[in-house]
Amino acid sequence: MSALELRGVRKRFSCADGTRVEAVDGVSLSVAPGELVALYGPSGSGKTTLLMIAAGLLAPDAGAVLFDGRDLATLSVREGALYRRRDVGFVFQAFHLVPGATALENAAIKLLGDGWTLKEACAAARPWLQRVGLGARLEHPSDSLSMGERQRVAIARALVNEPRLLLADEPTGSLDSERGAQVLDLLGELCRERGMPVLLVTHDPRASAYVDRVHTLRDGLLCDGLDIEPGALSISR
Amino acid sequence: MRSRRSAKLPRHPLDPRIAGVRLSALGAHYRLRLRRQLAAELLAGAGIAVGVALVFGVLLANSSITGSAPALIRAVEGNARLELQARSSEGFSEALASRAGRVPGVRYAAFVLREDGELAGPHSRRAVQVVGLSAGIVALHGSATRNLGTGVALVNGGVGLPAPLAQGVGAHGGGRVELLVGGVERAAPVGAVLDSATIGSVAQAPIVIAQLGVAQELTEHPGRVTEVLIEPYPGADARVAAELRSLTAGRVNVESAGSELRLLEATAGPLGQSTSLFAAIGAMVGLLFAANTMLLTLPERRRLVAELHTNGFEVRQIQAILLSQALVLGVLASLAGLALGVLLAHTILGQSTVYLAAAFPIASHQSIDPIMALLAFAGGVSAAVLVCLAPMLVLRSSAPLTSAARGAEHSVQHLGRRAARTLGLLGASLVAGVTVLVLSDPALTVLGGVLLALAIPCLIPVSFDGVLLVLKRLGRRTRGSMISLAAIELNATATRSIALIAVAALAVYGSVAIQGARADLSSGLDEAVVEYLDTAQVWVAANDNFLTVDSFKDDGAAALLARAPGVSAVRVYQGGLLDVGSRPLWIRARSPLDDRMIQKSQLLEGALDRAEEEIRRGGWAAISNAFAAERRLHVGERFTLPTPSGVASFGVAAITTNTGWSPGAITINLNDYRRLWGSDRPAALEVGLKPGVSPAAGRRSVRQALKGRPGLRVQTLAERVASFQASAREGLRSLGQISALLLITAALAVAAVLSASIWQRRPRLASLAAQGFDHMQLWRAVVMESGVAVAVGCAVGALLGLYGHALASRWLQLSTGFPAPFSLDLGAILLALAIVAGCTVLLAGVLGFYCARVAPRLTPSVAFQDQP
Repeated sequence: MSALELRGVRKRFSCADGTRVEAVDGVSLSVAPGELVALYGPSGSGKTTLLMIAAGLLAPDAGAVLFDGRDLATLSVREGALYRRRDVGFVFQAFHLVPGATALENAAIKLLGDGWTLKEACAAARPWLQRVGLGARLEHPSDSLSMGERQRVAIARALVNEPRLLLADEPTGSLDSERGAQVLDLLGELCRERGMPVLLVTHDPRASAYVDRVHTLRDGLLCDGLDIEPGALSISR
Repeated sequence: MRSRRSAKLPRHPLDPRIAGVRLSALGAHYRLRLRRQLAAELLAGAGIAVGVALVFGVLLANSSITGSAPALIRAVEGNARLELQARSSEGFSEALASRAGRVPGVRYAAFVLREDGELAGPHSRRAVQVVGLSAGIVALHGSATRNLGTGVALVNGGVGLPAPLAQGVGAHGGGRVELLVGGVERAAPVGAVLDSATIGSVAQAPIVIAQLGVAQELTEHPGRVTEVLIEPYPGADARVAAELRSLTAGRVNVESAGSELRLLEATAGPLGQSTSLFAAIGAMVGLLFAANTMLLTLPERRRLVAELHTNGFEVRQIQAILLSQALVLGVLASLAGLALGVLLAHTILGQSTVYLAAAFPIASHQSIDPIMALLAFAGGVSAAVLVCLAPMLVLRSSAPLTSAARGAEHSVQHLGRRAARTLGLLGASLVAGVTVLVLSDPALTVLGGVLLALAIPCLIPVSFDGVLLVLKRLGRRTRGSMISLAAIELNATATRSIALIAVAALAVYGSVAIQGARADLSSGLDEAVVEYLDTAQVWVAANDNFLTVDSFKDDGAAALLARAPGVSAVRVYQGGLLDVGSRPLWIRARSPLDDRMIQKSQLLEGALDRAEEEIRRGGWAAISNAFAAERRLHVGERFTLPTPSGVASFGVAAITTNTGWSPGAITINLNDYRRLWGSDRPAALEVGLKPGVSPAAGRRSVRQALKGRPGLRVQTLAERVASFQASAREGLRSLGQISALLLITAALAVAAVLSASIWQRRPRLASLAAQGFDHMQLWRAVVMESGVAVAVGCAVGALLGLYGHALASRWLQLSTGFPAPFSLDLGAILLALAIVAGCTVLLAGVLGFYCARVAPRLTPSVAFQDQP
């Protein structure tokens, strides 16, 4: 059974000029436990929207999203939050770290919503930061970290609750090729080690070498494999 | 290459290039900015406008009360450089004035008689000053009198009324009005209604103008004048002054022209100083409001600067773009601020003239001082330039675009711990410095108040850090609360939070300090009034003047009252204002038969019983502390006073507060007054009632006895106390209003900036929602953050406000001599806190709830943008 399953998902947005854009147009996609799936697509193709729908942050206009067989549409607001807090890890392209807070506090912040004390949350976050190679930078404010380090803090934060599903939006977008490869290695490792499904939105063509399956989203439509002009893909620095 | 291409551009005289950018291009840039950042721009403009309005409104309101007087006095005095001033309202003989006018060296002389009274027209009654002028006034060429041809405007022995006054009471030229002067009501024909074209700024004053002879008749002072205005021949001033002194033999004051202005300035001094403090605090609130908005828009402006730089714009071109935006914002916001300031000065800040009008012909006219307006305007534009040009600092970075992007997320919002400690140290030093300053010289308290206000922004960062530390420690142990999240988020926006807190703190500080001192003064005055008046159960006076200085002809009134049913005793009270140096002293002459000569609560030095016994005996006086300090007098020592009969000597029986009149008061025996002032006209009659007679019955009996004297006012003790206390409170009303306005403005400023701040945080809230925080958790965190920020501001503001309150009360007592014993008014403090905190938390609650609620549903473009 698939851990995450999207069935005929559609999502439309209204533009300022009144036109409606089909951001996601009848997408069906499943990610099995321990499977790493990459989703490619040009800018504006609906990748992030799809990720938000998978995280239960956006409700689809049509279709269904199931996690472990449970339809996210049936979740109350509180249950939706609980799903994201306990079951999902989310890696943002823009990191969304809290300035002024240390790497450790940033990685731990998610657990505060689950009733942990900061002390407990920091204790839980510490091994994850060590795992992403930031063991020596725990108490550094996020402002003083490099872009790559910030991305790794964001990954540690996504993993700190030991999620059952990892959603990553361009996790290598800000990293050099070496760091990017390390992050992809790590995601693959975690995916296999914990049997955790991972849905990865990326522009990085090298990611395809680390994933089990590749899909491409174009104008809201999903197709199998890497179906995109080479120029539309960016290579990690 | 660039310069060659530029050189080929056609010239457009109507579209010149400024620093290489076309004027139309500057306009296009600004239009683009408005399209993208209209709300932020409006907020920045509002901050600047509020600051300008606060400063200008407070200054304008204050200047209007005293600022009209110089114009008024100069308008009447014209070219006069010397003046003879009577030492009592009864004046001196016109014969003496005529001799003064004939002194060699005198070019022109004009005689003036002034007497307070009440004007009654068909619609209403107004307190006025009757001003009688001799024909010589025209020769002095005062703007108010040069067009006032005798026998032209004031025809047939009538009176001239300024147009606003005539309109107010419903009088018109050719009609009749009633004039109540010296307890006698008389009808007078209105000879002319005078507008500002005829009498200049005097048209705004509450005065009734008449020819000298008519005024003497109306005021029952035949052959008397109170003032002679003299224009000596050039170079003859000193000689003429010496001749005049010799002529008047020390029975009349010989002063240089404008002495009344000096008296007014001395009297209005404490009010002016308090207002200056408010103007300074208002300016700081405005500046901080503008700074808050700057912090909100700084990341976006930095990004714009970096983008322009990356796209090849030269530094001077970027400066031109930013400066043009600053000027548009600054000019428009400052103009709006000036307009708002005028509105405030005319409405909420409108000053009461009751206090000063007891001694001066104060007009309600507000004249806008162009320099004041220019300064406020320049301040607003400078603030806008600062707001707009600060982002240029990003160009100091080697990679501006990257720096802007990173700065937008981080460094801009974070103040270093070392900087916080340094500022804290500076703030503590300022507080310590103020303590030393004020202890060494209480007169420097207002400066101390401004320095305390400056200390507030310095103390906020370290207090904020301390609170954050406590919150973090609490959060480390507290399960399930949002304390840790609130602490982390507060730390993330430290600079912005600090600026926000400083606005709240300044407002609370100003409000607590001034309201506290005002409450002390109010209760001190209330007590003084009660003790001053409770020597009689019923009072009879010429009018409501709270100084009781307007005398009336007895004409057997006291004897009539003594025979009235229910009356046990009638005592005469006399008093007036005596100009001594720069002080119009309040002279109070009490009957030796009065129960009390000195108000016990106002006694500062001396033994009460002994002092009262000495004053009853005669030749002794109770003097107020400021006068005593000026003359370096102590109890038992002797001093002299210039009286209408010459210089008189008194012993100091006691030293008191100023009993509510800022220049000071002197209490003497009635018999001394009669002898030295040469007058038996009472200023009031104190009526004692037989046991068992109620005040109301006593008042009825007195009114019945005085039915032939309808011009006299009869009041029970309670009524007179209430009337006096209302006058005293009216004088303090403006302080309370300015304080409330400051508080409300600050609350609105905090609320506006907080709203923008919460609104800007939607992406962060969305990211937290994506991590599983539910909307109630986010809402709690937002409310907690706002609550903590405002609590820190309120606490710092209230603590320093209490300290400022204590210093202000001390200043009122020691420097101004007012009765203002320190007392803690917790209710007022809590009200101030409730206004600021309530407004802020309520807004944060509502807006925070909305933002937290919609955060999980934000569209991807909003939720995942890279913005702090």
